[in-house]
Amino acid sequence: MKNLFKEFLKGIIRENPTFVLVLGLCPTLAVSTSVINGIGMGIAATFVLLGSNVIVALIKNIIPARIRIPCFIVVIATFVTITEMTMKAYSPALNRALGIYVPLIVVNCIVLGRAEAYAQKQTVLNSLFDGLGMGVGFTLALILISGIREALGSGKILGYTLVQKFEPAFVLGMPSGALLVIGLLLGFFNILKGRRE
Amino acid sequence: MKSKLIVNVSPHLHKDESVSKIMWMVVISLIPAGVAGVLIFGLDALWVILLGIVSALITEWIIQLLTKRRVTILDGSAFLTGLLLAYNLPAKVPFWLPVVGSFFAIAIGKQVFGGLGQNIFNPALVGRVFLVASWPKYMTTFTPPQNFDAITSATPLAIIKEGRILEKISYLNLFFGNRGGCIGEVCIFALVLGALFLFIRGYISWHIPITYTVVVGLFTYIFGQKGLFTPPLRAGAGFGGDWLLHILSGGLILGAFFMATDYVTSPLTRCGQIIFGIGCGLITAIIRLWGGYPEGVSYAILMMNAATPIIDRYTKNRIYGTKI
Amino acid sequence: MNVAQFLTIFISAVFLYNVILSRFLGLCSFVAISKETKPAMAMSLAVMFVTTMSSIITWFIYRFLLIPFGLTYLRTISFILVIATFVQFVEMVIRKISPPLYRFFGIYLPLITVNCAVLGVAVLNVDMFFINGRAITGSFYYSVFQGICVGLGYALAMLLMSGIRERLDLCNVPKSVKEFPLAFIIASIMSLSFMGFNGFKF
Repeated sequence: MKNLFKEFLKGIIRENPTFVLVLGLCPTLAVSTSVINGIGMGIAATFVLLGSNVIVALIKNIIPARIRIPCFIVVIATFVTITEMTMKAYSPALNRALGIYVPLIVVNCIVLGRAEAYAQKQTVLNSLFDGLGMGVGFTLALILISGIREALGSGKILGYTLVQKFEPAFVLGMPSGALLVIGLLLGFFNILKGRRE
Repeated sequence: MKSKLIVNVSPHLHKDESVSKIMWMVVISLIPAGVAGVLIFGLDALWVILLGIVSALITEWIIQLLTKRRVTILDGSAFLTGLLLAYNLPAKVPFWLPVVGSFFAIAIGKQVFGGLGQNIFNPALVGRVFLVASWPKYMTTFTPPQNFDAITSATPLAIIKEGRILEKISYLNLFFGNRGGCIGEVCIFALVLGALFLFIRGYISWHIPITYTVVVGLFTYIFGQKGLFTPPLRAGAGFGGDWLLHILSGGLILGAFFMATDYVTSPLTRCGQIIFGIGCGLITAIIRLWGGYPEGVSYAILMMNAATPIIDRYTKNRIYGTKI
Repeated sequence: MNVAQFLTIFISAVFLYNVILSRFLGLCSFVAISKETKPAMAMSLAVMFVTTMSSIITWFIYRFLLIPFGLTYLRTISFILVIATFVQFVEMVIRKISPPLYRFFGIYLPLITVNCAVLGVAVLNVDMFFINGRAITGSFYYSVFQGICVGLGYALAMLLMSGIRERLDLCNVPKSVKEFPLAFIIASIMSLSFMGFNGFKF
């Protein structure tokens, strides 16, 4: 049990997919204009990660090694399609906000990376917790980035105004603002790491 | 006569120049434009300039203390960045705008790259485009000139972009700065004085500024007239755009002579500099004629700054007897 | 179908909505491979080739397979499979025909399968040039042209970035921002300057 918990935790801090592994940045930057979008993307990616990790761990002994990558991609694409259709049915607004980045979860390096590097060598239960941890870590990173961007870029968080008379810097809602925030955050974590060592 | 024979290895030439001296010379050459700006827009302009400079210096000082580098706030480069940024702002902006702009220009535009001589982009322009993207409301609200009979507060280029007709503004008005605009860009006369000073002292060469200006003039002359590409194409369509207006308005002269010529962020060789100037001119003219913004100088220079390492790479002077 | 439409696609795909700097597609490869000019150019050429070809292939699949049989919900899965197969195929062909070419950009080809830019442009084409399940006039040409332009935008960003990073190698950059953070900050400033083309209308 303790072991499983460790599998879960490592995705959140020690091997955080966004800040430590620097993977899957396309959706991270594109949809992090508001916290609600960030959470939506995080949940969608977590679901796909969980599903693909479990299935890959289940079928790891059946598929031939040479064509494993196409097989993984089919598994992942199936889960992405399920997510996309569910989202279209129950939350069309979110689907519209996330746009082409929902189908693009297929090529999100985190998902394929975990399948290749972890799930195909581990037990189902371990893979389940690994997927969950990675998903939560990804979601937390998204919340952090989108929180910063929404707070400074529009002066609100989840629709609530934070400080009266604050003049938001629109640039943070734009693509260049996203690149700036992730650059500065990575630099900041580097400084923290340098301190600890 | 005492013997002054000193035995030494070559090179023997010594030029009494330093980075710091060049920076201060550029600052001096910019003074007339600043004085003109203050005369035209009033004391507000002076406050903006002072705030820009002081916050640039303070930012540089704090960052150099924090990163434990040598404190070099007196070398004039931070001073110049603050000054140029302020010249690129309208006169009546809230006091925090030049402060934030200078902070961004120095911190992100310069110190992140490791300080003077290593930045890829012109720091003042990085600050300016950041401000335009963040607070467009303040950056495009211009005050009318106050001492002369006020004509209009909108800049000539903005009026053309909106499709209105420019009235009551002569080339002479434009030349002496009797129009709306940013503090340092309006008085072409003062800018040309400063630029002449730099030319004569040999601090800038003609390659970038002249090609830049000529290309903008040519391009707007050929394509400036509306309707070149709307069919049916007729003979002689297009030609006859108001090229002089395009040269005299907006930030072209300030940008071409004082910002595109920055040693650090422009190409090293003559050939590279001409490519740089042509690129700047084309992008500026394209943005002015078909883009959403009325003015494109700052974007054009930044884009060509990004291309500078590549230009340098392919225009390297060949060492005799070697292959590139 | 007219010239102005093509020019607008060109400007928006290369500058305004640049795949990397504005849509963030293919960011991973951008940050990883842009350290030197040569590999960066090889990768860009490979991407350009694949985006163009995959635009053509996916257009035919969508128009003549998915729409007539009402299978548009299989878009993602079919596109990625076709792209992966195509890339694999090209890799094999190049290896057989021209070993030098294979050495030049063969190693980057497998990477392209999971390059978001390639799937991204296919999905974008479908979103932009099919309305209510029907191809708009000139849809095919627009799609192919957009594929080329997205590749060009990728190449432009790659070329500029690799030049800048090669120069920064000689600079005394603060340790904490070395590599990734600085690459993102430079990309941010480039993205800011490309915003100059905002609202481009021809």
